[in-house]
Parts: sequence; C-alpha cells; structure tokens
Amino acid sequence: MTRLLRGLFLTLFAAAVILPMVWVVVNSLKSTSEIISTPWALPLQPRWGNYVKAWTEGSIGRYFFNSLLICFATLAILLPVSAMASYILAKFPFKGSQVIFTGFLGGLMFPQFLVIVPLFLLMRDLGALNTQWGLVLVYVAFSLPFTIFVLTGFFSALPDELAEAATIDGCTDAQTFWRVMMPLAKPGLVVALIFNIIGLWNEYNLALILLNTPDRFTLPLGLANLMSTNQYTSDWGALFAAIVIVMSPVLLAYWLLKEKIQEAMLAGAIKG
Amino acid sequence: MRSRSRFWFRFGFLAPACLLYGILVLIPLVQSFQLSTFRLSGLSDRREFVGFDNFIGIFKNGTLAQALQHNAFLLVGAVSLILVFGYLAALAAGGAGRMAAFLRSVYLFPHVISLVVVAILWQALYNPQFGLFSSVLRAGQIEPPVWLNDSRTALPSVLIAFVWYVLGFSIMVLQAGLKGISPDVHEAAELDGAVGARRFWNIQWPLTWSTRRIVVIHTCIGAMNTFALVRLMTNGGPDRATEVALTYLYERGFQPNSFFGEATAIAVINFIAVLLISGLVMVIFGRNPVEARTR
Repeated sequence: MTRLLRGLFLTLFAAAVILPMVWVVVNSLKSTSEIISTPWALPLQPRWGNYVKAWTEGSIGRYFFNSLLICFATLAILLPVSAMASYILAKFPFKGSQVIFTGFLGGLMFPQFLVIVPLFLLMRDLGALNTQWGLVLVYVAFSLPFTIFVLTGFFSALPDELAEAATIDGCTDAQTFWRVMMPLAKPGLVVALIFNIIGLWNEYNLALILLNTPDRFTLPLGLANLMSTNQYTSDWGALFAAIVIVMSPVLLAYWLLKEKIQEAMLAGAIKG
Repeated sequence: MRSRSRFWFRFGFLAPACLLYGILVLIPLVQSFQLSTFRLSGLSDRREFVGFDNFIGIFKNGTLAQALQHNAFLLVGAVSLILVFGYLAALAAGGAGRMAAFLRSVYLFPHVISLVVVAILWQALYNPQFGLFSSVLRAGQIEPPVWLNDSRTALPSVLIAFVWYVLGFSIMVLQAGLKGISPDVHEAAELDGAVGARRFWNIQWPLTWSTRRIVVIHTCIGAMNTFALVRLMTNGGPDRATEVALTYLYERGFQPNSFFGEATAIAVINFIAVLLISGLVMVIFGRNPVEARTR
C-alpha cells in the first residue's frame, strides 16, 4: 500500500515538473489556431517554421548572440579575477584577509534591488548605461561573492607541499599560481563556470535596469520583449519556439553536470 | 625582500576583485541608505535632503503596505506548500527505483530555467482559451475563472507558479538533510518499532531541523524578493491585486517618471522586512531540539 502510494506521488511530482515543459515543446510545433483549438493534442504536422520565425522575425537569433557574447566576456574576466583573489584568501592569509573574505560572503546575503538605484545612477554617470561592457562589469562584480566562495574552498583543500615544491624549483609566486595551482583547481573552476553560466544565461533584473535598446538585449530580456509584443500579434507558436530555444541550452548543461551543480547549490545553500 | 614581494603579490592578486566589488557593489550599497533620505528625480540632478520624508510618504500612500501584504501572502502560502510537498517529494525521491531516480534528475529543472521562461510558461498555462487549468475545468463542465485577470484568483495563481519554481531547490536541500541521518539511527529506531509515520515524526522531522530552517528562510527571502515572475505574469495587476514590493519599487524608480529617492526607500524597507522575517524565523525555530535533548 505504501509502495503504491509512493509510486503515485513520484509520478505526480515528475508529471508536475515535466508536463508543462513538454506541453511547450509540443505546442512550439503548431500554428496558433491549432494551439487554441486543440491545445493538448500532438501537432497534425510539425511546423518547424515557428523556430525560423522566432529566430529571425522575433530577433531571438540576435538576442542569443548578445547573450553568448555577454556570458563569454563576463566569464573571461570573472574566473581569473576571482581565482586570483581566492588563492590569496585561501593560501596567503594576512591581517584583514578574513575581513575581506567576509565582505565578499556578505554579498550573498543582501538583495540585488537594494543597490539597484545607486548602481543605475553610477552607471549613468560613468556613461556605461545601455552598454554591453557596462553590463559585463556589473555581472562580474555581482558574481564575485559566490565564485570566490566556491574557489576559496577548493584552493584551501589543495596541499601546501605542491606550491612549496614549485617555489623551490624556482617559480615565482605568480608562476606557481598559473602553472601549478590553477590546473589543480580545475574541478572547482568547472563548478564555478557551470554555475555562473546558468545564472548569467537567465539573468533578468540587472539587464532590465541597465539596457534599454532592443538590439542589445540579452535572451531573457528579449524573450520578455517578444512576449509583450505577442499581446498584439498573438503568435503563440513562435513564442513557444522562442521559449524552447532559451531553455534548452541550460537544461542540456544541467543534465550533463547535474551532480556537480547540485553539490555546488547545496554548498551555497548551507553557507548562505 | 621576500616579504615585500609577497606584499605586492598579494596586493596584485586581490586588487582587481576588490576594486570591482567595491565600486559596483559596496559603494552603491552604502549610497542606497543615504539616497533613501534624499529627494531626487530622473529629470534633474538636484538632490535635496528630506530626512525620513520618503518613508513617511510611502506609508501614507498605502500602496506599499498593500504590496507587502501580497508578499506576506506569497510567503505564508509558499512556506506551507513547500513544507508539505517538499517533505513528501524528498521522502519519495530519496528511495530506490527508476521513478525516484528520474524525479531526482528533473526536480531542479524549474529552478535552472530562466524566471522569464517560468513566467511565460505559466501565463500560457493560465490562458483562458487554451491553458491547462481552463481546459481541465471545461472538461468537467465547470466554467473556469479568468485566473490572472481576476483580482480574486490572480495572486493565488502567481503563488502556484512561484511554488513550482522554488520547490525543486527545497526538495534538494531536504533530501540532503534526510540522507544525512546516520543509518545507525534508522536501525535503532526500527528495532524500537518506529516505522512509517512514527519514524517520520520521531526521527526524520526532528533530525532535519537545520535543513528545514534553511528551506524556510530561503523561501521567505524568495517571496519577499519576487519580481520578474510578477512583472511578467501580471505586471502587478489587475488593479494592483498582485503588486509586490519590488514591482512597486520598479514602477516608482524606473517608469515612466523616476523617483529615485522614493524607490530606494522602498528597497531599504524591503531589506529591513527581509531581515526582520529571517530573524523571526530564527526565533520561531529556537534551539535545535535534538541538541537540547542530548545535553
């Protein structure tokens, strides 16, 4: 009896998670009139044209490229900058380094919206409003707390002997870091990378405040934009296709690395 | 010589992170408390110190109080639903079997797709013409409500979408907590005859005290900081029936006129509310019951 009940629960929970997403995928292959008349049936014939329409007319292609660019630029700055800081905090503590570490951790605690107005004014004064480089720098700054938290843990766990051996062999501190410690911290860097990719790919609030011309929008912003125009055009098929385009890369990344992601999320949850 | 080179090494490695974080996060953070006591609009650069006028004005206006009530509704609703369904799913997913393994690999899906996707997805599910809920009710010969367009059903509808989004995270944390209970404890309990519901209330519930506290605080913070979901599902409507603190902040600060001082004051109030609620949760949870017993 309890086994039957448990099986029923499992099926219901799994259906509640999966069904809405499957529904979107199925409906992304229908015409709008088909969606309205038979929302829960399979498409009569798959309309791949919805994807073409979302990609071109809906500008999802442009937003996709913008998102890729911003993610890549952010990670290219974020990972070395936070790895360097984490290495010092983990292996070369000094008077006050604990304060700096706590300062970064504090960034996990307060809500983004607390800083959003002063940040907007600062970016306006710097001429960085509505620029992609401005958004990238903001993303780097806001991703530092979690990334430093993860990487400091990884560097602390590395044995000191390796760095000492490299120093004896004549490496400077910086060389030891780049040639010996960075390759050893690769598992930590991968966790930080995956975690940040998901966060950056989905980020909406900061992009909404800092960008305002559609040709610079990231995917979440562009998708929201497409939704608001959909109120007039009512092309649900293309909108559903756009949703599939936005969510599939993250779902794929998650599927490939789910153990690592869950590990990192748990670590973050318990500390934060 | 050596220690001096270490100074520059440390300095050089820490400086980029500290600079970026200081300029783009810490300075705005300090400024926000300052800015909440100024009158400053988007049209001119004149800043005028007004003390607590922004706060007084907001409370006299009444919209923020109404919005915070909606946050409170989401908070209480989400915490209750998540404790019930989170434990059920965590217990069910923790066991062996293919279905449990499947659930374990999909329950975080809603959490990793963008909130924008979640909002549009649920807006479609609530669509009066072709959405899930209307189709089901019509199949049962019941005339469905218009969900997001009716001020009575709009907020509960948003709540369901919010729970769908955060539930996976809670399942993950609770499941880790349940897994952390030592097998010895389970064995001993089984010998004492604690199985089924008794095992849950005497062993699993008290021994997941700290994970439960994490889940509750996480859900509270999420409910107080709801923004994208509401903005994209209902934009605070109909007739402010789903307005929450942060959508109101956005309205005051960024469209169509900018009342930056007032918007910052709302952010400060919301932040204080989050702190108070987290503190309250800590007080309600009190001391770990298991620790107290062993001492």
